[in-house]
Amino acid sequence: MRPLDLTEKDPSKRVTIYFEGQPLEAYEGEKVTVALLANGIYWLTTSTGGRRRGAFTFGPVPMVVNGVKNVNARKTAVKDGMRLERQGYDDFQENVEIDEGKPVLQYVVDVAVIGAGPAGLGVVKEIGGRLTTAIIEERGWLGGDLKLKGVEQEGFGDPKEALNELSDLPENTRVFLKSVAIGVFDKGEYFLVPIVRGDQLIEILAKRVVLATGAVDNIMLFENNDYPGIFRRSDALEVMNVWGVAPGRKVAVVGAFPEEITAELDRWGIEYVVVPNPKRVEGNEKVERLIDANGNVYDVDAVIMSDGRRPDINPVTQAGGRLYFKRGYYRPVIDSNHRIREGIYVAGSAVSIKPHYANYLEGRLVGAYILREFGFEAEPCVYEERLKNYEPIAVPVHRLPLDEFNGEDVHICGCDVTLRKVDDVVKSGITDLQIIKRLTHLAMGFCQGRFCLFNGAVVVSQRTGTPMDKLDIPVARPPIKNVKMKVPARRD
Amino acid sequence: MPTKELPERSEITIIGGGIVGVTIAHELAKRGEEVTVIEKRFIGSGSTFRCGTGIRQQFNDEANVQVMKRSVELWKRYSEEYDFPFEQTGYLFLLYDDEEVETFKRNIAIQNRFGVPTRLITPEEAKEIVPLLDISEVIAASWNPTDGKASPFKSTAKFAIKAEEFGAKLVEYTEVKDFIIENGEIKGLKTSRGVIKTGIVVNATNAWAKLINAMAGISVRIPIEPYKHQAVITQPIKKGTIRPMVISFKYGHAYLTQTSHGGVVGGVGYELGPTYDLNPTYEFLREVSYYFTKIIPALRELLILRTWAGYYAKTPDSNPAIGKIEELSDYYIAAGFSGHGFMMAPAVAEMVADLITKGRTDLPVEWYDPYRFERGELRGQALQMG
Ligand SMILES: Cc1cc2nc3c(=O)[nH]c(=O)nc-3n(C[C@H](O)[C@H](O)[C@H](O)COP(=O)(O)OP(=O)(O)OC[C@H]3O[C@@H](n4cnc5c(N)ncnc54)[C@H](O)[C@@H]3O)c2cc1C
Repeated sequence: MRPLDLTEKDPSKRVTIYFEGQPLEAYEGEKVTVALLANGIYWLTTSTGGRRRGAFTFGPVPMVVNGVKNVNARKTAVKDGMRLERQGYDDFQENVEIDEGKPVLQYVVDVAVIGAGPAGLGVVKEIGGRLTTAIIEERGWLGGDLKLKGVEQEGFGDPKEALNELSDLPENTRVFLKSVAIGVFDKGEYFLVPIVRGDQLIEILAKRVVLATGAVDNIMLFENNDYPGIFRRSDALEVMNVWGVAPGRKVAVVGAFPEEITAELDRWGIEYVVVPNPKRVEGNEKVERLIDANGNVYDVDAVIMSDGRRPDINPVTQAGGRLYFKRGYYRPVIDSNHRIREGIYVAGSAVSIKPHYANYLEGRLVGAYILREFGFEAEPCVYEERLKNYEPIAVPVHRLPLDEFNGEDVHICGCDVTLRKVDDVVKSGITDLQIIKRLTHLAMGFCQGRFCLFNGAVVVSQRTGTPMDKLDIPVARPPIKNVKMKVPARRD
Repeated sequence: MPTKELPERSEITIIGGGIVGVTIAHELAKRGEEVTVIEKRFIGSGSTFRCGTGIRQQFNDEANVQVMKRSVELWKRYSEEYDFPFEQTGYLFLLYDDEEVETFKRNIAIQNRFGVPTRLITPEEAKEIVPLLDISEVIAASWNPTDGKASPFKSTAKFAIKAEEFGAKLVEYTEVKDFIIENGEIKGLKTSRGVIKTGIVVNATNAWAKLINAMAGISVRIPIEPYKHQAVITQPIKKGTIRPMVISFKYGHAYLTQTSHGGVVGGVGYELGPTYDLNPTYEFLREVSYYFTKIIPALRELLILRTWAGYYAKTPDSNPAIGKIEELSDYYIAAGFSGHGFMMAPAVAEMVADLITKGRTDLPVEWYDPYRFERGELRGQALQMG
């Protein structure tokens, strides 16, 4: 087994890949980032500002694959003989192949559901084949975050069994996996949801759209929080529970919700320490130790941020929804039918943070609203009633010890936006988040703010005294997920 | 959230805090005038922060060439004094047929007459300037190395900060709702946050100018309509990869360059409106990707980070309306900049400040006479990108 393998892999799939010339064991079908992790390689790419970056924190993971630059390693599967090299974010491929591309595909459905977590699946289940549906999922599986869980989940019990049951979808459901929706466009009679699967552009035309686009893990601010070896909770879960690879042999768990990961670490027998007040990470190429605010030093080879999740507001604002601030996060304003506007519904942790099962119920609820809108019999009130048992979870916004930090080393955003950069702008007399954004490029990079906007807002709020609910929050623009220019470039 | 008090009174009040309003305020404050800018959202939130960053002197008429030559001088001076990114990396117009070449030869002659050093170059020379270009169909290019680009964010913010240092007041998140007029004289403005007493008003609201003119109750017809234009930006790549603004009329009236941050930015001639809607469209994403990758094939493999929309506030001849409106005392307008208001702002500020403080200006402001529409004296179409 490789240094970080937790499970025995299928020997018939065994292949050799080369990283910076060095041969490594890998398994066909594995993600490049996971295969390298299993071999103990964390540092994969370098930011424009020259910071070493891994695959599980934030920022893109461009690598040179078989001599081709700027390939997204997060979405690349291992193949025998594959040659991989590090690069900088700003390296790009100058000589490109020019082909006509694949013809654009088009599908017409009644309802397009974006996101196949418990909420999205709940919508499709409730509709039960009475309307045609398309379900669009960025990841390679149905079930979203539930799939990442190994331990029992409230309401569902065993996550594997629950998933089997949830994934049994009506026949007239079109499932698009490894497909990203790049926006929702109002065409009057219908909505256009363009999706990208590999290099393929697909247009979904739908009468109704459901955003079941989920939440994102909070990124925590401390010095060198962008180091290779720092994991978002969801990535740590994925490497363990989907790929059977450990994030490290000895890990530190930081953040306000350590229990969301410690049970899983226990299950795999991975040694960990919970550190409530991280101040700085140090190491040569990757995390080697964590130092807390009291000066305690922990020798660890990975850090997992388990600091709660907040709704991903980008799909909502792109589609024309408005936001309000409650329970520690920005969330969509919805009407009595869970709509952000005429024709566009929202369900699951895109609305508020709650257990998987509650998200599933909310998906069923939205499914029932849609059925009723199309003239079918449906009883949304059943789900409304059951959802009353679930008060959304608050994710408190803690005051950050900003002055304790060396601002140059604290990364608000993977695109080299540091606490220092934001502070310098605030000190020059500019206090509006909208302008600070444009002067620092906060929320203007690869994630369009999905991972960094909230922290940017916290810092600006704390530094200027403007309450979170009074900040002018920038809206997301299409494409809400990055797309290579050649994909939409095709002309029919 | 507004952070500054609305002053009780101000000698001069500028409505609109885009690059035009802000640079006028800067110029007036620098000359010692008492001036306030009222902006309904935040500085730059109109079209300014949505622009394509380009600054060029390659126009097709004498007035615009002269005004832009002055503007470039001011861009250079202020960027050095105030330390914001303005680079003279040139504008490169790719030309694909004899007719285009003839037109550009005529433009170049006008530009040269006023000392703008534009020249016709070969496709190979163009490729030396931007090695990634596909020049297989290009027969010549019009090249002026003294054109350039600036960061709309950093420049506008710097002009705003400096204007405040000179004593100007910039009041954000405050909307002008109406004029208070007595016997043809402006007495004040009603805003969403109360009244400001003022005697001189400048309408610098560009896409919204007709609404402000209606509030002022003037009868002269100044047709300025908001058209939706969109732009795209890619992931940042190695700085200096695409230095000039590259223009191709053949491929979708496209313009593109690299920002000081590294992303490739630009747009195409895809226009919607008149409308105040600013939702980016899928059709634009398709168009811009198609045309950009024709001009520079390597863009195919770059990630698109986002698209957005802003306004071209257009007049029938694509020239702005700049000047004093005589039927009301004292009311000025500087609006309707189509696709070139960012680049012109420093010179516009100089002209408007001259008109207010001296009643005259050395720059050819008559070209932009707001009364020309009513008189039926349209100018030749100003060369417009996008
Ligand atoms: C996609 C795109 C690309 C462009 N590229 C270029 C380029 O490369 N080079 C170039 O020179 N130009 C370019 N332009 C044009 C340029 O953006 C504009 O001409 C320029 O920004 C106009 O500046 P302004 O200050 O007149 O208007 P704006 O920036 O629109 O400012 C007007 C302000 O008035 C405010 N306002 C309106 N009504 C009220 C009210 N009632 N009360 C208070 N405030 C009010 C608005 O909120 C707004 O902020 C581009 C435009 C677009 C859309």
